Amino acid sequence: MHQTIPQQTLIDCTNLTTREINQKLKALASESIPTVKLLNPAGRHNLAVGITQNIAISIEGPVGYYCGGLSENINIEVFGDCGWSVGENFMSGNITIHGNASANAAASAQGGKICVLGHAGARAGISLKGATIIVTGNVGYGSAFMMQQGCMIVCGNAGANLADSIYDGVIFVGGEINSLGADAKLEPMNNADWQLLEQELSILNISAKNYNFKKVICAKQLYHFKAKDWANY
Amino acid sequence: MEREQVLKTSSTYTPEVIAAIQERAELGRYMIRGYGAFRNVPRFDDLVFLTTSLTRLPLEGYREKCTTKTLIGTRYAQRPMELDIPITIAGMSFGALSYNAKVALGRAATLLGTSTTTGDGGMLPAEREASSKLVYQCLPSRYGFNPTDLKKADAIEIVVGQGAKPGGGGLLLGQKVNKVVAGMRTLPEGVDQRSPCRHPDWIGPDDLRIKIEELREATDWEIPIYVKMGATRVKDDVKLAVKAGADAIVLDGMEGGTAATQSIFQEHTGIPTLPALVQAVEALQEIGVYGEVQLIISGGIRSGPDVAKALALGADAVSLGTATLIAMGCNKPVYIEDYHKLGTEPYHCHHCHTGMCPVGITTQDAELMQRLPVDEATTYVANYLQSLVMEIQSLARACGKSNVHNLEREDLVALTLEASAMAKLPLAGTDFIMGQS
Repeated sequence: MHQTIPQQTLIDCTNLTTREINQKLKALASESIPTVKLLNPAGRHNLAVGITQNIAISIEGPVGYYCGGLSENINIEVFGDCGWSVGENFMSGNITIHGNASANAAASAQGGKICVLGHAGARAGISLKGATIIVTGNVGYGSAFMMQQGCMIVCGNAGANLADSIYDGVIFVGGEINSLGADAKLEPMNNADWQLLEQELSILNISAKNYNFKKVICAKQLYHFKAKDWANY
Repeated sequence: MEREQVLKTSSTYTPEVIAAIQERAELGRYMIRGYGAFRNVPRFDDLVFLTTSLTRLPLEGYREKCTTKTLIGTRYAQRPMELDIPITIAGMSFGALSYNAKVALGRAATLLGTSTTTGDGGMLPAEREASSKLVYQCLPSRYGFNPTDLKKADAIEIVVGQGAKPGGGGLLLGQKVNKVVAGMRTLPEGVDQRSPCRHPDWIGPDDLRIKIEELREATDWEIPIYVKMGATRVKDDVKLAVKAGADAIVLDGMEGGTAATQSIFQEHTGIPTLPALVQAVEALQEIGVYGEVQLIISGGIRSGPDVAKALALGADAVSLGTATLIAMGCNKPVYIEDYHKLGTEPYHCHHCHTGMCPVGITTQDAELMQRLPVDEATTYVANYLQSLVMEIQSLARACGKSNVHNLEREDLVALTLEASAMAKLPLAGTDFIMGQS
């Protein structure tokens, strides 16, 4: 059962099924309850999935796969680590993770912003379709694979094959890049890029100037399937 | 006596092989094309029905009722898919197909009380409007996949693979990626769009289980979730998909079509629809969910007898792709000059990938698309589906069944040793089952 105290609605996940938790969240959102706190998530998968009405959800502890997936208009803060695909297919709003994220953070996310205040695993921003993902630590191999639109900001290092098979969008990396994937290239930073980074990172009390940011975009060599492309991939 | 010259043809270097070698020599890459496999494989044609005579009685072919109602997704969904006929329309994307073709498929399916399926391009609003029952595909690309359209769907189909290209992705060439198609897919206009071969956010069946739960949570456990696979290691794949929580399995044999992929995939990967179906039914029986998890079979199904034989072998429904396009005019002998411009002839065209479809089906060119009026295309597809239903009912009545789902393996025998082995049915006129007797 959820318990309402002034300004704060609490849901203890301990004895509830995922179905019951998500039903409560959807019901609270439809009642225009502004904020809700989930206690004892215990690494459970599929929390706050498919919620499309405005609500702020604070999750006190680690979560499993797909936290916040297929949602829009919501704000989620996770005080713990995340499993795979946090914010998968996210449409709008914010997800902030006070911890590390496993693989596929923000997979196919179409809008809104997903901040990982730690490290993210392999394939962060995979197939990104328009959202912004910020990782204050490192990202693993294959990050931004097949990215189509959007922006990825990584303050730390990026693993091998960054931005492999990218179509569009932009990636900024403050640390080292192990290697670029097929059809990705470095491009010089310009003033607008620094302004964008300053604007996005200052909210997190990070100064972009403390990092040697590099910009990665699509080289557009593989936009059309040609006979002599084979050496590029 | 003057003798006419006899032209010798090598069985190794046939004209097709010579042309293929020379085409690759010019292109420097493998060949890409639409349609499906050209090679001959054992198929439903190699089976025949043992209808009735003295030991069983037929139903009156033109009068007595024969039910075709079909339910898909009865395992977990609160709203299973209720179909009037056991024939559905397979996923074909807006992008690969023209707007008119997608709308016509939707309207025809609605007229027959069955479902149509979205495809790689996401949910076209006009398609949703036209289709009373719409299956929303969750594809590896996630093009156009979003929670808003998800809530409008009547079922979700997680696409793991396709019969024409199991293990491979597709290629929508840039000439078909116009402004609208690019917008729906969040892509730059005019670029060659690769469909990925695997999902971005899950890899194996354990992940799929969690993915299915996510989709159920997002749709409040209301609608069924199908898992569609190209037929390869059928038994293991079907069992894993069931374990992951699928409400229904959609299995696509190697005769399945495509808008564009490597020709080598179409000819050299996957197994035919006939043995795929038999293995899938066995897999469901072995784990005790036959009847609980429904099976939709697809890949080169063209006629009422194909459908009836699939039902008799244990499918709950079939899914048609290429055949519905042919019904609306694909390969029709009209606009002959435009076939010639593509270097082909009617009945031989497989140039869906070029976007220059002479009959306006697999194109995004506004002028070509006008050659496919929606009303006319709707009528053709609806007529075709209706004729299939009548054929299935005729065969079922002749087998003494008042429900097409009562067709059974016992109603069939095989005409060839290959079909006997693959379908595990006796060779006609004998008790011999190839590989078992």
